Amino acid sequence: MAEALVIKGLSKRFGGLRAVQDVSFTVQENETVALIGPNGAGKTTSFHLITGFHRPDAGSVLAFGQEVVGLKPHDVCALGMARTFQVAKPFGAMTVLANVMTGAFLRDRHVAAAERKALEAIEFVGLSAREQTPAKDLTTIDQRRLEMARALATQPRILLLDEVMAGLNPSEIDQAVALVKKLAASGLTIVIVEHVMRAIMAVARHIVVLDHGQKIAEGAPKEIVENPEVIRAYLGSYVHPPAQGDAHA
Amino acid sequence: MQALGKMKWLWIALAIVVMIALPQIVTSSFAIDIFIRILLFSFIGVAWNLMGGYAKQLSLGHAAYFGLGAYTSTIMQVNYGISPWIGMMAGGVAAMLASLPIGWLCFRLRGPYFTIATIATAQVLMLVFLKFRDFAWGAEGTTVPNLGSAPLMMQFEEKSSYYYVVLGLLAVGLWVTHRIEKSWMGYYLVAIGEDEDAAEAIGVNAPKVKRDIYMLSAFLTALAGTFYTQYIYFIDPATAFSFNVSIEAALVSIVGGIGTLWGPVIGTVLLETTSALLQSWLGSSVGGIQLTVYSLILMAVILWRPTGLIGFATDLYHRYARRKPAHA
Repeated sequence: MAEALVIKGLSKRFGGLRAVQDVSFTVQENETVALIGPNGAGKTTSFHLITGFHRPDAGSVLAFGQEVVGLKPHDVCALGMARTFQVAKPFGAMTVLANVMTGAFLRDRHVAAAERKALEAIEFVGLSAREQTPAKDLTTIDQRRLEMARALATQPRILLLDEVMAGLNPSEIDQAVALVKKLAASGLTIVIVEHVMRAIMAVARHIVVLDHGQKIAEGAPKEIVENPEVIRAYLGSYVHPPAQGDAHA
Repeated sequence: MQALGKMKWLWIALAIVVMIALPQIVTSSFAIDIFIRILLFSFIGVAWNLMGGYAKQLSLGHAAYFGLGAYTSTIMQVNYGISPWIGMMAGGVAAMLASLPIGWLCFRLRGPYFTIATIATAQVLMLVFLKFRDFAWGAEGTTVPNLGSAPLMMQFEEKSSYYYVVLGLLAVGLWVTHRIEKSWMGYYLVAIGEDEDAAEAIGVNAPKVKRDIYMLSAFLTALAGTFYTQYIYFIDPATAFSFNVSIEAALVSIVGGIGTLWGPVIGTVLLETTSALLQSWLGSSVGGIQLTVYSLILMAVILWRPTGLIGFATDLYHRYARRKPAHA
């Protein structure tokens, strides 16, 4: 198996806050890796650093062997790495179809071709019935589906999903888990930031745990839940309450 | 769908015939003057709308390009005897080139800060042209030499000829907008206007797209500047870089409906007609009444129909169409 994403020594400071400190991990091709940790652990910042929205102070990010640190977000996307946002960012005034076509234009500037690609992506995420709906009228889960379809339309090889389950009810979480599994089965390499442990256990083969910007553990899901360091830092708060819902939107 | 398409072409053909026949039927020079103003500001609105409407980059500095277009062609004509038709294109290119550094500076800012920066650029250019007395005549400006009937120098005896020139400009502006709206560029512009980060995340090179559309918008605005100077035979920094031009370009689009093909045209028809008629009927008796009514229209649109008159018409159409499904 080839290495899809190799992250080495990634660091970022905001003023006095060390948001991400010397984080390294590797994602194999076709693997689904979860990035977990308490709020403020540096998960979303890591996503911003990997996808070019922030420039790291130090470290390197190799996507299929190519350095992406220093590239703009659109260049990172063009290299085959697409992301979604923690708070969905649909183009509200556009229809679902137009939103996804905007993503498809990256690979083909022809309207008809982009529309075909977009329709495929919309069907894949199960939004076909909403094709002509203005994006601002979508429910939360459909907005997440839209973000995934839009990212898929750029034909990525690596997909970074930032808390796609946040704000969903239990049955919607099941649908979202099924969708992430379907994405993984289609051959995509997936990095997922998530709080919903049930979902992580269901989709991730490998888990990286961050706390205060540092990696404190990584391994298979079974090892992670038994790791005393992880339990102390993070899972402790999840032992009793039901492991679902949106405590951290 | 097919029938709808045919209907559309029928309407467009009808509109073209009416627009061409109009100055032959209504021959009062007062009316033609109003038509010319409407067409001119529609065209400026259309040029502004490409960037300000679709990509929601609210510029209030388009007078910079209007003035550059006006000055480039007038300097070429008065000092070197070059036809304003050529000067018009040169002015467009000058505006495009000027938009590069101006955009480079202003696009670092977003929202209200961007808008303020654009205002500043137009004001700075006005000051520059006030200072250049040697080749740009300073504050007193200059008149364009009247050559009588000289179509090759963009001078006509008939007012209706100016009407056809500016009608042609508007047609070009609308055609360009239509082509952009239907292409990937149109999607990219709207996406940037909606959420620049989300657009970047799906591969949209936002700085490049904004730079390109700004260049195009500046080019078209400059053509209007040349035309206006030829039409009034006079240029000075205060008219060429008038803040009113910047405001009008934005307002007609906002009133008509930003980010829509016909929005600027509909907005201009309403605002210019109202203002011209009120001024001629009441201007002398009740001072400033046309400005008051003008402001009231603006407030009404912004309060009740922030999507502009186009949005209002679309809502009405959908309501009507839904009640009569046979027509849908």
